[in-house]
Amino acid sequence: MKIDLKKVGAWFDDRLAITPIVRYATKKEVPQHEHSIWYFTGSSILLFLAIQIVTGIMLAFYYKPTLEGANDSVARIMTEMPLGWLVRSIHSWSATFMIAFVMLHMLAIWITKSYRPPRESTWMTGMMLLVVSMVFGFTGYLLPWDDLSLSATKVGTNIPNAIPVVGKWVTQFLRGGDDVTGDTLTRFFLFHVCILPLVIFAILAVHMILVQKEGMSVPLKDEIAKKKVPSLPFWPNFILREVMIWLVLLGTLMTIALLFAPSLGPSADLMAPAPAGVKPEWYFLFLFQTLKIFPANMGPVTGEFVAVVIIILTVVAIFFLPFLDNKPGGKKGKFWTYAGIFGLIYAIVFSIWSLL
Amino acid sequence: MRIDNAHFTRRRFLNSILGGWLGTLAVTFVSPIVKFVWPPYKEPDEVKLAAADYAGMKPGEVKMFAWGVKPGLLKKAEDGSYIAFVGVCTHLDCNVTWKPDQKKFFCACHEGWYDENGTNIQGPPPKPLRRLEASIEGEDFFVRKPGAAVKS
Repeated sequence: MKIDLKKVGAWFDDRLAITPIVRYATKKEVPQHEHSIWYFTGSSILLFLAIQIVTGIMLAFYYKPTLEGANDSVARIMTEMPLGWLVRSIHSWSATFMIAFVMLHMLAIWITKSYRPPRESTWMTGMMLLVVSMVFGFTGYLLPWDDLSLSATKVGTNIPNAIPVVGKWVTQFLRGGDDVTGDTLTRFFLFHVCILPLVIFAILAVHMILVQKEGMSVPLKDEIAKKKVPSLPFWPNFILREVMIWLVLLGTLMTIALLFAPSLGPSADLMAPAPAGVKPEWYFLFLFQTLKIFPANMGPVTGEFVAVVIIILTVVAIFFLPFLDNKPGGKKGKFWTYAGIFGLIYAIVFSIWSLL
Repeated sequence: MRIDNAHFTRRRFLNSILGGWLGTLAVTFVSPIVKFVWPPYKEPDEVKLAAADYAGMKPGEVKMFAWGVKPGLLKKAEDGSYIAFVGVCTHLDCNVTWKPDQKKFFCACHEGWYDENGTNIQGPPPKPLRRLEASIEGEDFFVRKPGAAVKS
């Protein structure tokens, strides 16, 4: 019997209505201008997310999220499983690349002010994705269960405690009790492999739909001048350029993962004193250093409380940035551009300072 | 429909009853979930240690014990009495360590220092180390929260 593929395709199309999506993708155009390069940061994040999903599932085949088994199971993955050390290394490095590209993506949008109407909600979902990505990193850091990751988690989960009333509740929720124990490890594993993936897919879906709905933004000065910006077909011209960038990034990631595989310390001991040189992942370093410079007490409250309040207010301000930076062409717009550059310099300086 | 002299319509009345009922139902479902997710773990009121393990301590010496899942630090004072501390930094919960050469407690996470009486002297810790009461009762060595009722 000969199967008519066209008929099969038409049958599915009748039921799933794929044609409009295909037609949309083939007709979609991407503007070309001096800032077009930043468009690629978005799809690069998707590349690293895909790598995280594949390598994460691979690691989860052998990982054991228990107090007794976690450190041993990571050691086993690294020493006994074929190329296991590389899978872990790629997962760890791809996380770093993903966060770096999320930050780059947001910085580019901040500086080019692409979040101006009608793209405010795209920015806000993007900010949510940054936070979710960082929580992914934070929960993943504990899973190897060595002495450094235990201390970093103790510090990180204790930070909400500085907030009166609700803080204690949040800390207990994160830890599964008053202290970091084996229950915390199991809980973090669940956040990392079940809850956060659901959350990131949901927010990402909205983010992507918004990007398609509003189209790509053009530079502010062209928009003000009402200049017609030349564009490139999304399929196949733009995709081809994206694929080339993906290949370069994949090559870079593989090279770094091969040469600089992460180490694994001895299994964490809940009773042992904190080891010297406790550091969180690099993207938390500037927050770590910020917490460190605040004095123990500032008047009636602890310095930690003041630091946490400032950090929360900053995050909220960045979330609502499109509404704060609502006159992008004027003086106020310049102020917010400089605020973004200042934030970047602050983060770099404090990160380096924390390593000294 | 509104009955004469009534404050609200029949529709609103019925919707409120239904809404209230659904809300109550939701709470009965959610509350056990919340209870399950926030476990009832509490730190101990007292721990019992074998006195023999700590009998040979010299004045000024510090030994560790398990205070629930946290480390405890037991110090023999110069006058022969015992003081116990919860060995957890009051800044951000890292485990502290005793530095015998400097006679200080040290937290490596953010470089916090406490003197030999557990008083915070340098770095970010906002409060002294938490103190516990230690006493020998026959063969047993008890460490208690200050003011905890004596069991035995």
